Amino acid sequence: MQTHSEPNNPSIIETRNLGKSVPSSEGELHILSSVDLIIKPGESIAVVGESGSGKTTLLSLLAGLDTPTSGSVFIKGRDITVMNEDGRAALRNELIGFVFQSFQLLPGLTALENVMLPLELSGDGNAEAAARALLERVGLARRLTHTPKQLSGGEQQRVALARAFVTRPAILFADEPTGNLDSKTGAHVIDLLFELNREQHTTLVLVTHDASLAARCGRMIGLAAGRML
Amino acid sequence: MKRFGLALRLLLRDGRSGELTLLVLALLIAVASATTISLFADRLQRTLTVQAAEFLAGDLVLAGSMPIDDAWRRRATGLGLIPSQTVEFSSVLLENEQMLLAAIKAVSQGYPLRGFLKTLETEAGAESQIAHGPQPGTAWVEKRILSALNLHVGDMLTVGEKPLQVTRILTYEPDKRGDFYSFSPRVVMHQADLPATGVIQPGSHVHYFYQFIGEETALVAFKKWLKPQLNPSQRILDIHEDRPELGSALQRAERYLGLSSIVVILIAGAAIAMAAGRYTERHFNTSALLRCLGCKQREIFRLYTVQFLVLGMLTSAIGCLLGWLGQLGLFYVLKPLLPQQLANPSLLAVVFGFVTGMAILLGFALPPLLRLQKVSPLRVLRRDLEPLPAKAWLIYGLAIAIMSVLVWRYSNDWQMTAGIVGIGLSSLLVLGLLVTGMLKLLRPWLPKLGLTWRFGLQGLLRNSRASVSQILAFSITLAAMSLSFTVRSDLIDQWRQQLPERAPNYFALNIIPAQQPAFAQDLLRAGIDSSAFYPVVRGRLVEINTEAVQKRVSKDSQGEAAIHRELSLTWAPAIPADNSITSGEAWSADQAGWVSVEQKLADNLGIKVGDDLRFTVGGAQVSARVANIRSLQWDTMKPNFYMIFSPGTLNDFPLTYLTSFYVPDAEKNLLNQLLKTYPATTILDVDQILKQFKTILMQLTQAIDLLLYFALAAGFTVLFAAVYATLDDRIRQGALLRTLGARRDWLRKTHLVEFGVLGASAGILAAAISQAILYVLYSRVMHIPYEPSWLAAATLPGIGMLSVGLAGYWGVRAVVDQSPLRVLRRL
Repeated sequence: MQTHSEPNNPSIIETRNLGKSVPSSEGELHILSSVDLIIKPGESIAVVGESGSGKTTLLSLLAGLDTPTSGSVFIKGRDITVMNEDGRAALRNELIGFVFQSFQLLPGLTALENVMLPLELSGDGNAEAAARALLERVGLARRLTHTPKQLSGGEQQRVALARAFVTRPAILFADEPTGNLDSKTGAHVIDLLFELNREQHTTLVLVTHDASLAARCGRMIGLAAGRML
Repeated sequence: MKRFGLALRLLLRDGRSGELTLLVLALLIAVASATTISLFADRLQRTLTVQAAEFLAGDLVLAGSMPIDDAWRRRATGLGLIPSQTVEFSSVLLENEQMLLAAIKAVSQGYPLRGFLKTLETEAGAESQIAHGPQPGTAWVEKRILSALNLHVGDMLTVGEKPLQVTRILTYEPDKRGDFYSFSPRVVMHQADLPATGVIQPGSHVHYFYQFIGEETALVAFKKWLKPQLNPSQRILDIHEDRPELGSALQRAERYLGLSSIVVILIAGAAIAMAAGRYTERHFNTSALLRCLGCKQREIFRLYTVQFLVLGMLTSAIGCLLGWLGQLGLFYVLKPLLPQQLANPSLLAVVFGFVTGMAILLGFALPPLLRLQKVSPLRVLRRDLEPLPAKAWLIYGLAIAIMSVLVWRYSNDWQMTAGIVGIGLSSLLVLGLLVTGMLKLLRPWLPKLGLTWRFGLQGLLRNSRASVSQILAFSITLAAMSLSFTVRSDLIDQWRQQLPERAPNYFALNIIPAQQPAFAQDLLRAGIDSSAFYPVVRGRLVEINTEAVQKRVSKDSQGEAAIHRELSLTWAPAIPADNSITSGEAWSADQAGWVSVEQKLADNLGIKVGDDLRFTVGGAQVSARVANIRSLQWDTMKPNFYMIFSPGTLNDFPLTYLTSFYVPDAEKNLLNQLLKTYPATTILDVDQILKQFKTILMQLTQAIDLLLYFALAAGFTVLFAAVYATLDDRIRQGALLRTLGARRDWLRKTHLVEFGVLGASAGILAAAISQAILYVLYSRVMHIPYEPSWLAAATLPGIGMLSVGLAGYWGVRAVVDQSPLRVLRRL
């Protein structure tokens, strides 16, 4: 496991002494402690561990969704822990895509509109064409006008994949992407995820407790009680 | 704006997905009803003002005992006003050896500027409206003239030295006054014939009336210009000054209309706050996701603000349109009751509806909306993360500020605004604490209750803050509705009391003391009830504590009017039962030298208990000390007096008697008999005035009823919207309970318990709030005696329990009727 960056091969994500604790009635509760991590561009990393090991916390800190109580996170060499929330939001818009366990599609929007959303947010005038192309790529060309309610779980997650890749993000964070799906559907979604990841040379950080899924990643990071194994 | 297109698309999508339905509905109701009421009230008010102007046959009338300077008329026409003129005097008519004192009125071209005359072409003909006076050479007369002088239509009638042909029988004139000139039968002639009558000589007792109509601004300018130039015998009349009884009815009606507008806005405001709260909560996830996808806080705020602005403008515009239609509908329904000439709807009232919509939306929706930008992006991973509630001062401050401005705009009365907002707020604060306490007290009892009650009440206690605000919101709604209803009833009762079915419609003046017992006997024999017979001595107030009374008065005040003419002075052993002493003491029967003064006049002239007043009666002087000040209702049509003396003070002066009585239409002949039997007595006819007044009151009552139904309907619709806005949590829990095996019946019962208790608590609070507001409204603003409305207080909890219980029960049918899986999936 690497703990420092190499000058010739700059990291896309790097953490130094990253920690997160919250106050509790029995004193400070350490959710994550002293995580040092370097991830290179194009790598695929699986973060594995049991429930409560700190996987989701690590993901939220890496993606700038939350702020650490100690240490720093660098994305493309920029320390996101010193940025304010709006700075981090801009960074997310520019570099990061997400896939969530609960899909997180907006219920009122159609499949196409859900995929268009991140492009629209960044002011891309070509949102619709790009979204159509990607939905076609994930096999949902005929489902463009369907709302999430009208889609199965697998279809919803494929829409979420299309939404995540439509901005061609440098980094994709996936939080238990198959957690809500049966194994066959899950496998199909994962195949798609890895295909798209390869096509776009995206850096993938995948949180899972599924060993077979983790095994498909280039590297595995184990967490237990908030510490890296 | 870069994101404007995106905001619009999001809005469209939200609209399509039904997220906005509730909010739009609440706003639509608010704007539609506010616009309807604003338009309706505005039109009605302007119509009524015009109609009231008919009473004067003009918008503004200058009355005096001499012709006005020509420059004044030029000034009026220069300002764009249209003038007309009437000259009134009495003259003895002599035909067929019969003699009759008649009230002659010579009218100019253009008369009546407002309203119309009603006439018959023959004695048996049908009544028709006519918008001008008689042609030169002709006269229109009242039937009494024909019968008293044995004349018929077509006969000649000589006024002074001028013979005129009677061409019509006059049945109605808009500007008939309840004063000296109204009691004799009327002859209307053309002004061009006036010189030929030779009646008007220098020193003749003649009254000149100059009517003007035109734009409000021109009228105001003219009045302002005119006032300083008036001599003591000249007076400006307009509806508010000249007809106090009508003025106060109009004023109260206007205030009521304003109040119903406030009621709807208040209810809608509560509903919009709830709907916006729900909208916000349902958009936490979207905001979190948007932030996750890179939206900055300010952008999120802008995104939603733009959406709400567009939504507000669209909805308000549609609401205005609906309001316009609603108002047309109201006028259509009320057509038979309303004057034929309706004022046009004013665009300003529509604009006001629109502005109201935007203001309510932003005032009530902005604070919850502000929470959206505070949603942590981490919520995409942890759904339980909710942003902090908006700051209390922001939520309440903005809503209160906007409400205050709106209430003020409607009532145009800071006192009323402060009363409503102040009492409302402090009650809310106290009541909020009270409800919180009540809920806390309930908690220890829960384990002792049956499962159904326990679950129902737990629904309330689980989120006690939300429950408190719901109870308060419902109680505001209920209080507002009850307020609207009670004020309407009391207002109408008050009017009815003022003018009972058999309110006196005739006054008999100048009854000679020797004939008074016979006169009373004649009335009694004809089965006519009369009020008491008051002895009257005509006298003028000249000094207050040896100071000339002229020094005490301001121009155009009631006091000025009172000191420039002789007052009817009376005496009585005790003041009349419907007068009440506001300061000082009553006298005992044998104390001479005391006087009781009417309160408004006393205030006007600065008269206090213990002051010495000096009067001139004929050539003599008489003094009396003020024993008390008393208030009375001027618009009861009973004899009322500024000055009542203790017995023995005026007894030595020549006196006549005065009484009032009610004569049904069928027995009007009696009047002629009385006039023949008692030629010295004058009969003052207030029947026409009374009828006009009653018609206006009836129309006002009908309009008020309709507005009330409208407010009630709006209230109930919004009430339901409010219940619906709080359902998500309950639906979720209900679905969960059903998954765990709860039966539908049982769930229904828990909902009934929960909403029933919610409604009943709201009803109790509503009773307290409405009574507090009523007290302030009545005692400070509307000047109606306040009596606690026990009926409202007793029924409100029941009404609250039923309405909220049923609305809640109906709203949560989804929990009970749909499969729990579908509910859970959807949420």
